Formats: sequence, C-alpha cells, structure tokens
Amino acid sequence: MRALMLIFLSFSAFAETGATDEKLVGVFYFRPLLGHVHQSAVRESASLTTIQCAHPIKVYESSKVSTDPNWAYVEVADHRGFILKEYLSEKRPDCFQGRYPKFYDSLNLDLAELYYWGRLYDQYIQGNTRVH
Amino acid sequence: MINIFKVTLASISLLAAVASAAPGKLQEEKELELVDFKSVKKVLQQDGLSQSVKLQEKKVEAMKKEKATVETSRYLYPTQDELWGFISEYWLVKNAQLLQWDFQKPDYGLEKSFGSILESMGFYQKKFKILLLNNPSIVRASLPGSEGEVILLLSVPFIRSLDLSKLEISLLLLEDFFRLEQGYFKKAVETEKLRTLPGTNFQGAKPDFSLIQEVVKNYDKEINEKGFTFQQQFEVTKKMDSFLKSNPELWNAYFRLLGKIDRMVKTNHQYKDYIRLFPSPEMQVKWLSPPEKVL
Repeated sequence: MRALMLIFLSFSAFAETGATDEKLVGVFYFRPLLGHVHQSAVRESASLTTIQCAHPIKVYESSKVSTDPNWAYVEVADHRGFILKEYLSEKRPDCFQGRYPKFYDSLNLDLAELYYWGRLYDQYIQGNTRVH
Repeated sequence: MINIFKVTLASISLLAAVASAAPGKLQEEKELELVDFKSVKKVLQQDGLSQSVKLQEKKVEAMKKEKATVETSRYLYPTQDELWGFISEYWLVKNAQLLQWDFQKPDYGLEKSFGSILESMGFYQKKFKILLLNNPSIVRASLPGSEGEVILLLSVPFIRSLDLSKLEISLLLLEDFFRLEQGYFKKAVETEKLRTLPGTNFQGAKPDFSLIQEVVKNYDKEINEKGFTFQQQFEVTKKMDSFLKSNPELWNAYFRLLGKIDRMVKTNHQYKDYIRLFPSPEMQVKWLSPPEKVL
C-alpha cells in the first residue's frame, strides 16, 4: 500500500512538472508567403511541415527547450518545432494569397514548389537601411 | 392583439422556412423572400412596420452589393509592383536546383556590411534580400522585388575564387543594386501583358498565366544569355565612380576589385561567360582610369 502511494505521488509530481514547465506565450500568425516549421533552430534544419501566410501558430516557452533568442518554439497541428521570430506577427497579416486568392489558387503550385518557396525565406539574408 | 398574433405567426413560419431556403443568399434576403409582405400589408401599415420593411430591403440591397464587390475582388490580378516580386521569387523557386541556393552558407555579415554601404551613399529606407548561390555558372544578378525591394544574387564559388573581402562583396552588390535602379532588367524582361493585365479582373475567365510564363522565360534569357550591353555597363561604372569618389577608400577598393575580376575571368575557364554577360571588367578599369597624359 505504501509502495503504491509512493508510485502515485511520484507520478503526480511528474505530471505537475510537465504541466507547469511549459507556458503558452500566445497565438501568432506566419508572415511570409510560405515557410517551414523547423526541426531545430537553424535555418538549414529539416522541415517538419510547410505553412502558408496567416497560418496560426502557438508559441510556447519551455525550460526544457533552450533556443536561440531569434527563434520561437512553436506548435503547428501536431508538430513541435522552431520558426524565426521575425516571421511571426501578433496580428493576422495581409497576405498575397488573401488579396489574390483566385489568382494564387489557379497557379497550382506543386509540393516541391511550395517546399522551395518556404526554403527561400530561410535562405534570404534580409536587411533594410535606416530611415534618415 | 390579433394583429400582433398574425405578425408573430408570420415570423415563426418565416424562421422555420429560412432553414430550408436556397443556399448562397444572404440571411436577410431569404427572410424578405419568404414573407409575402403584400398579404400582411395592412397589418404592417397599422403597426407602422412597413417603414422597417423598407429599411430592411435597403439594407439587403446594400449587403448584396458589398458581397458582389468582395466576390469580384477575389478575381483580381495582382498589381504590377506585387507581380514583380512574385515573379522574381517564382523564378527563384523554379530554378532552385540549378541555382543551388538551398545550402549551408558562410556568414559574411553582409546584412550589416551592405546596409552600411547603402546608407553611406545616402540610400535610406531601402529593403534588400541577398541570396547566395552555390553555383559558379550563374555569378550574379539583381531582380526586382515588391515595394521597391531588391533581390541580389551572388555566387559563393565566385566569391571564393576571388577571395573577396566583406567590403568587396558589398561593392559588387552595390554595382548590381545600381544596375537594377537603372531599370535595364525590368525593361528587358517586361512584356505587353505585364504592362496591361496587372490590377485588372479576370472574373468569368481563367487567369492568363502566360503573363508569368513569358516574363519567366525572359528572366532566363536575360540572366543566362543576354546580360548587359557595353553602354549599360559604362553607365553603371560611371555611377559607381561618382558615388564612390567622395570616399577614396571605397573607390580604390572598387578599382582593385575590377582588376581582380578582369584577371580572373581571363584565366579561369569556369567564368568564361562572365565577360559576355557583364562586358567587360577590362573596359570598366579603363573607364575609371584617369586619362593618360600625352607629352
């Protein structure tokens, strides 16, 4: 009985740690035309899934996942991975697909094209000059 | 009391019928259709409800118009500015395997380096995207983006062959930035459809994708075959000259860079096409050199 009690206590302690360890920061939206949820916080890392502009993304903070400050730890559908923070927006963005839905849909981009278009945004070195 | 009962009865029967009414119509529209307002006209007038029926009809009309406008806007071609960026990226995606830009690249710190050169030249509020290629056959290109953005392509094998510094890479990018600003590329690849179709509506027809296909073909020709003319190269070199003159360190670096490229393209067979596309580093050095004095 005592042993059973001990097992029960240890299980409940574990569950509590798991529950409090992870914190939902909020729901954000993906900004570029297309992109990827990455396996690790590196631009070249493998893609878990391809997402489109305005896709809602749950951002989490977890003590178990240490990540580069430029990357967010995210959940998209049943995938947990990483997205560059600069590609996330608090408000639903005004996307090309949203402005021109029939034109975009008629393009019928195939899976390889969708994949590469997402990779493009990972590979760009982006910058802009200051406002004078 | 009886009147109120009649109106209530009509409303109940209306609600029951609305659920089974034709789809695709506004809820308010269905309600208006289902009530035979003529038969209860007197009742409505007595209760002062005919006014509210008229208001409802106007509201439905306005909503129908709004719905039609939204539906029509879904069939718009993008604006020309948006199409430039879209086509450039579409070309990059279509040529991903050839260009080989999806690779782990060295960090040259170009975001800061090129940004500060642009700022030192007085180019503020400029957005740029740099894409490094792992391919020696396509050395460099500058493509139009949307909202005044520029997309600059540069080959890493080319950078390595010349052992270029961060400053030299930024100067090459600046030259490409000027080339795009001069509008040579857009002028060379633009088609009649790209001038006329953007912003128009294709509702009731299929969108004309030859609008994109033709321009993409022109991108291929321009970047891989045609390149730039001597006149265009002269203008770009002179523009670089006038912008860099106020900063001797940058001017000298640019002059030395052209010399380096000239020597390399003459000796390295891998870059034999460079002179054809960007004529010619040798001439560029001559155009920048001070005129020789004849004694």
